[in-house]
Amino acid sequence: MEQIVFALLNGVIYGLLLFMVSAGLTLIFGMMGVLNFAHASFYMVGAYLAYTLQPVTGFWLAIILAPLLVAGLGIFVERFVLRRVHAYGHAHELLVTFGLSVVIAEVIKMFYGNFPVDYSVPSDLNFSAFALGGMEYPFYRLFMGGVAVVMFAVLYLMLTRTRVGIVVRAAIYRPRMVEALGHNVPMVFMAIFGIGAFLAGLAGAIAGAFYTTNPNMALELGVVVFVVVVVGGLGSMEGAMLASIIIGVMNSLAVGVNVSLADVLARVGLGDWARETGGILTLQLSSLAATLPFFLMLLVLLVRPSGLLGEKE
Amino acid sequence: MLKTAMCCSALAIMCAGAAQAEPLQVALVETLSGSQASTGLLYRTAAQYGIAKINAAGGFRGEPIKFVEYDSQGGPVGAADRVKAAIADGARVILQGSSSSVAGQISEDVRKYNLRNKGKEVLYLNLGGEALELTGEKCHFHVIRTSPNAAIRFQTLTKGMKELGLMGDKVYSINQNYSWGVDVQSIIKANAETVGYTVVGETLHEVNKIQDFSPYVAQIQQSGADTVLTGNWSNDLLLLMKAAADAKLKVRFGTSFLDQPGNIGNAGSVAEGNVMSAPFNPELNDATKAFAEDYKAKTGHYPAYVEPYAVFGMDMFAAALKSLDDATGPVSANEIVLALENTKIETPVGSLSIRAEDHQAEMPMIIQEVSKEAAFKVDGTEYGFKPLKVYTGADSADPVQATCKMKRPG
Amino acid sequence: MLKKLVAVIAVLALLLALPALLSESMLNASVQMLIAALFATAFALLCGQAGMLSFGHAAYFGLGAFATVHAMNAFGGDGLLPTPLMPLAGAAIGLISGLGAGYFSTQRTGTYFAMITLALAELLHALAPHLKEVFGGEAGISSFRMPAWGFEFGSTIEIYYLVLGWTVLCIALLWGLTLTPFGRLVLGLRENSHRLKFLGYNTHALGTFVFALSAAFAGVAGALQALNIEAANYVVLETQVSTAVLLNTFIGGAKVFFGPAIGAAAMTFFGHVTSDLTRSWLLYQGIIFMLVMMYLPRGIVGEILARFRGEGGAVNPVAVLARFAGILVAAAGFVMAIELTQRFFSTDYKAARQAGGWPAVEFAGHMWAPFAPLTWALPIVLIAAGLGLVTFINRREARRQEAQI
Repeated sequence: MEQIVFALLNGVIYGLLLFMVSAGLTLIFGMMGVLNFAHASFYMVGAYLAYTLQPVTGFWLAIILAPLLVAGLGIFVERFVLRRVHAYGHAHELLVTFGLSVVIAEVIKMFYGNFPVDYSVPSDLNFSAFALGGMEYPFYRLFMGGVAVVMFAVLYLMLTRTRVGIVVRAAIYRPRMVEALGHNVPMVFMAIFGIGAFLAGLAGAIAGAFYTTNPNMALELGVVVFVVVVVGGLGSMEGAMLASIIIGVMNSLAVGVNVSLADVLARVGLGDWARETGGILTLQLSSLAATLPFFLMLLVLLVRPSGLLGEKE
Repeated sequence: MLKTAMCCSALAIMCAGAAQAEPLQVALVETLSGSQASTGLLYRTAAQYGIAKINAAGGFRGEPIKFVEYDSQGGPVGAADRVKAAIADGARVILQGSSSSVAGQISEDVRKYNLRNKGKEVLYLNLGGEALELTGEKCHFHVIRTSPNAAIRFQTLTKGMKELGLMGDKVYSINQNYSWGVDVQSIIKANAETVGYTVVGETLHEVNKIQDFSPYVAQIQQSGADTVLTGNWSNDLLLLMKAAADAKLKVRFGTSFLDQPGNIGNAGSVAEGNVMSAPFNPELNDATKAFAEDYKAKTGHYPAYVEPYAVFGMDMFAAALKSLDDATGPVSANEIVLALENTKIETPVGSLSIRAEDHQAEMPMIIQEVSKEAAFKVDGTEYGFKPLKVYTGADSADPVQATCKMKRPG
Repeated sequence: MLKKLVAVIAVLALLLALPALLSESMLNASVQMLIAALFATAFALLCGQAGMLSFGHAAYFGLGAFATVHAMNAFGGDGLLPTPLMPLAGAAIGLISGLGAGYFSTQRTGTYFAMITLALAELLHALAPHLKEVFGGEAGISSFRMPAWGFEFGSTIEIYYLVLGWTVLCIALLWGLTLTPFGRLVLGLRENSHRLKFLGYNTHALGTFVFALSAAFAGVAGALQALNIEAANYVVLETQVSTAVLLNTFIGGAKVFFGPAIGAAAMTFFGHVTSDLTRSWLLYQGIIFMLVMMYLPRGIVGEILARFRGEGGAVNPVAVLARFAGILVAAAGFVMAIELTQRFFSTDYKAARQAGGWPAVEFAGHMWAPFAPLTWALPIVLIAAGLGLVTFINRREARRQEAQI
């Protein structure tokens, strides 16, 4: 029982982290139609900046300042790079952000080297929150989850309860109409891009200390974040939340399931044949945990292409 | 008169040409850029250090060795391309170490090139591709591995931990799901009875794809294991240890690649008490200390991770060349291989030799633990690796694999 | 038409003469360039002409490579086909897998299509290392080119001609395809698939078929690579391979027939030369790519062709030369700044600093001290001068054109 509780808790919190990174991506996609390849790079830059600032400003100020700087970077990228290629179509926007992600990774390597830097959780936050069945649960994980939940609440309220939110949501669906009504849509785009980058930077600053801060962290997370956005429904904040948690929990539970196709076939008497054939049939689910999100994405795309909660196709 | 003078000078030029033999060309084919570059760059540093030492001692047959670096751009395809380029540029010896998949490709490329170009053979010095099959079914005469392999690392690790009383009864084996991890897992299982422990759980997980190891830690917790053995490296090791520490899991880790730069700095106190079996430790004796200091003077850091045994591999190569130094003219790869088989050198940690049957190096292995008492601190932390026990090359050697059927020339 | 014919014949003659002109190492690079060019051209059939952006073409390239390796190893190493015909195995598997994958992915369009191709490729890449019999595990599968038709296929020259033959044949076939009614339909798929549907065409079947054709030619490219390196490793299924072909295609110009091939050849050459020269070559590659996307949206070849057609006014050769000079000067300054920064932050520099102080580093034959004003002033002046020149020319040209109107 405790195992399952732990697995669920772990999964949910990992999911919340995925949400923090993908929230910005789905907002940006919803508004501008841009799948921003460099989004996970903002996550990485957030972690590295927080690592750099921490000795000077202390941990708390660092995790606030770093995302602000990342937001500045995001605004710069939107204003001077993306806006320039906007007229050439979505493929160009996507590819220019891909180029940007390569550039960011290489610049990080140039200054910080190839190995992980020693950015870690400050010792006064490094205690366990509670114990259950002999296993202790680190406070910092709850902290990460808490930040993500607060962020979701703020974004949700902002989008649904404020005037700005109405303009933003309208701009997601009918940007031209909104512009015709006299709103400064490019300005809204820039702000959204900044907010998206801020969120990714915040996620990086917080999670970089818990996991590791290395030059490949953007690469490792980048594709999973895409999956979250597609599964949730492009442009849907609630969808991203749901998809993040599903993927997090799925990951966490799959690890404990040592079942292969051969075991399933054994039920119908084909077990021996399957084990002799080997290959894909004897592959255990637990060793495919990180691949499952792609199965999910494929399934969603073929069955319900607009995503779990998306409305726009 | 004039004619003879011209004749003489022509002769002199020819003589000079003959005396000034083609320098031996050594090519390093490594991943020097991209996301996999970190380890490749370490091999580069070690190889440069080794070559500099040979050249400082007078080079080979009166000529300094020509050392050229090639960037394999990450994968076997780039490596195949670079090996061809290196051979075309005149390289007779290829060095590489950072990846078993690239090692497999280069080993095969060299085998095929040598089949097609009898008399112009090329030698591949594998400084670190540790997959067992490279000295198993893929072994051939012109490839020599100077690094340990899964069997050497984990036989010494399990034996050593047991003898030192650091091994619990219940062992959890968690490894990366590819040839290296699978090799390690099968060795951990095979040694259970002879060494005396039970494997209570086994996991193979995807390589470098997992961000969150807490579900795996929950599995370990559930199994009741007190010792975790893992061949994981890089981020997979670091994240695993961090997740275990966060869950306050009371286990001891037995590892093979804990000394990768950045690991201890990142894990900090989490790593304390964990054990590693590796071919080097700087505080073992005066010779290792001297070597570590010299390495630091030349490269800016103490030798760590793959660097020490890459340097010892280069020392081995240097010793083999020295035994061939009394002749003149170009040297053939076959001669170097035969010399390597017959060379035995004393490295700072002990004697190192190449087994003729499968060209696997036999080297001492050192069981060491992460401790505050270590003389050489790493990553700017208060921790370092403290040596606990040394296995000589003969003690740590694994038997020759039956799958290795080496064809010798002639 | 005559001009085009002359150009094609000239390029072919040059390609045929290359082995006599190049060193073995460069010839080997040419083989890589040819393979990349064919892969990009095959990819562009789908991405440029049919307008479907695929993120997973590495899958078909890789499957082609593995099929070829297995074909080479068949019958105890004798081979399923004579060596020169091996790429047919790659084409066949590419076509079959392309039909299957295309059937599913072309049910969706745009981003969703791209995501399905990505998911399929990622799944294959994740499963491949576990299927040791098929994909050979980490060490990959090795094979041996058997002599056939009186050739040994041992030397680089023989391989070069084999690869050249297949590349030219396949690119010619793809070129011929654009001239047929089918080729026009493919363009229609990109420009207005709704209209095509109203006209009674089965756009799904058409899309599937284009996908399969593109995958088949990608399979040939993979097969040629397998023939060249005599091995295949599941690493060829990686995302990087998919993105590399995408980048190459767009750098050359996705909508111009020869753009992708030229872009791929150029970028492969760039990587071949710069990767041994500088540690920062990926940074330069990323920057070049961003600049091309931002300032040459039709790709390098596309923009040049547009200029030849006289778009954007008459070309003033002096202005073009001056712009080039400006860009070169700015690039020199930029490269210098990057290289110096990279050197000062490298581990080698850390080693050099042990003796104390801040030693100078070598770049372009001179020594540069980290805190000397000239070290940083020179690149800044170069960049400013170069960009200043380009801006000046642009303004003057704009004024001149205004005056003409």
